[in-house]
Amino acid sequence: MTAHVIRTAGHYYDFLAAIYNYREYLKHSVIRDLRKKYKRSTLGYLWSMLNPLLLMIVLTVVFSKIMSHVETYSVFLFSSLLAWQYFVGTVTQSLSSIRANMKLIEQVPIPKFLFVLSIAVSNIVNFLLSLVPLLLVMVVVGRPIQWTVLLFPVMFIPLFLITIGFSLLFAVANVFFEDTTHLVRVVTHAWYYLTPILYGRDHIPASLESWIPFANPMFLVCEYMRDIFYYGNIPSLSAYLYSCCVGLAVLALALWIFHKCDDKFIYFV
Amino acid sequence: MNQSALAKEAEQSAEQKQPTAKPATQTGADGEQREDDQAEQAPPKKEPYTLPPDLAPEDTAIDVDNITVTYRAYTERPGTFKEIALNFIKERKARYYTTFDALSEVSFKVPKGKIVGFIGSNGAGKSTLLKTLSGVLKPASGIVTAKGRIDSLISLGSGFDREANAIENIYLYGSLHRVPRDVIKARVPKILAFAELEEFAYTPVRYYSSGMYARLGFACALDMNPDILLVDEVLAVGDERFRKRSREAMDNLLLSGKTIVMVSHAINMLRDFADIIGVLSKGKLIYYGDPFEAVKVYRDESYEVALDGKRLAKKPASKKPKS
Repeated sequence: MTAHVIRTAGHYYDFLAAIYNYREYLKHSVIRDLRKKYKRSTLGYLWSMLNPLLLMIVLTVVFSKIMSHVETYSVFLFSSLLAWQYFVGTVTQSLSSIRANMKLIEQVPIPKFLFVLSIAVSNIVNFLLSLVPLLLVMVVVGRPIQWTVLLFPVMFIPLFLITIGFSLLFAVANVFFEDTTHLVRVVTHAWYYLTPILYGRDHIPASLESWIPFANPMFLVCEYMRDIFYYGNIPSLSAYLYSCCVGLAVLALALWIFHKCDDKFIYFV
Repeated sequence: MNQSALAKEAEQSAEQKQPTAKPATQTGADGEQREDDQAEQAPPKKEPYTLPPDLAPEDTAIDVDNITVTYRAYTERPGTFKEIALNFIKERKARYYTTFDALSEVSFKVPKGKIVGFIGSNGAGKSTLLKTLSGVLKPASGIVTAKGRIDSLISLGSGFDREANAIENIYLYGSLHRVPRDVIKARVPKILAFAELEEFAYTPVRYYSSGMYARLGFACALDMNPDILLVDEVLAVGDERFRKRSREAMDNLLLSGKTIVMVSHAINMLRDFADIIGVLSKGKLIYYGDPFEAVKVYRDESYEVALDGKRLAKKPASKKPKS
């Protein structure tokens, strides 16, 4: 006999419909995430700007000697770093999101991917806030701000898809194996060094350059940010479309797994 | 269990009771009189209701058809990669858990606009049943068909954000139940008034006492205007006055044709309140029908576990036949 529940609400794993149906909840949840983050700190939202800025300063101080041939290394670093910070921040916060909403899961039949989505969306606000220090630094060090920065929303799309895809994958893994939390810490650390943040494409050996950018989904999306903020280039369309496809593929896989596991979460959380 | 014999019995009992059966109506005044819910001899004020053996689909609020919910009881939870890997290496059979059925082959129909109660000892499957009805738990097999919007009062205020104030939480609650924002906006004053929290509307709920917290949860759930309300042991929330008003509110829900499914250990309260009572024992529905009969069945079941098998044969069960 097959398990089957008929509900007037419709199939709630119809993801787009779920987002629409629960848009009010998402809004609340995003606002709550944002408010909670700096609730008890004096500087509040300033931290969204100060944090990446301070990290950038530290990294610049440490690496600018080695990377002395890179012009305005601070901007070079900062532009990619922000994309990475968005990714790793969302992934890390998403890990415990399902377990954290255990009480809710037990009371309301809610699609669980919304918890991860809400984190990814609230981090967009932090990302946007952190663009302020980036632009400030560009002015201070005298790097010209070019029109390509306006492409930011377009370049953000593949980053968003990839981020939410991996966040969902790790979040679902973490429900069934709590070790994922520790594993992800190591994995993201290694991943960080495989992504052009501290260095650029020119610094990697030619033998790797042919495949690493395509094997590492974060490689190209971090480069896009550097392209539009640092170089003032428009990334190639084919690469851009490739990133979008990778993002969609990861997201589709993650959503498929979520769909498979949606009913099992309650037994594990 | 012999289904055809049960069906026959059900028909007989239905025939016997049919002439006296009237549609049960609950009134507000009725609720006021039922203050002393814990009292041993609370007189029944409601009209007796008899479940027809073949409830028409349009009169059915929830149709539960042969559901089984299986839990895994972990002996040693293998939560880590290391343990799983080690177990693989040791070639031990991958059996970290034993399965047991929290509910097994449970079937019943909840008639529209009635109160159905479930009683049973701890671990009989009452809470699991409510979770299955609310849709948070999917049964391993079987079908639950519910007509209309279901809301549950399973654990009060569990969707609340402790950092937010009462009004924000009302919006949050509404959003979880997909109630449009403008609809909630109109209801906020009413909810606050019912919960008697107007004074503390802008206080973060983390400063609330447990009673205030529960009152807000109860008021929210009642006001979401569900077609079917699932209640788990919450009528005892708040002080005497609030309890009385909760009763009145529930009575009003019934008057407007809502269906209520309740689970409780307060058996006498439930007996006076419910139209139908189901008795759960070890995941099985052993009785479903007349509340007074149900309480007898439950008492027998708890005190004379040894007679478990015989009792069903002896008592005229008005359990509905499997359709």
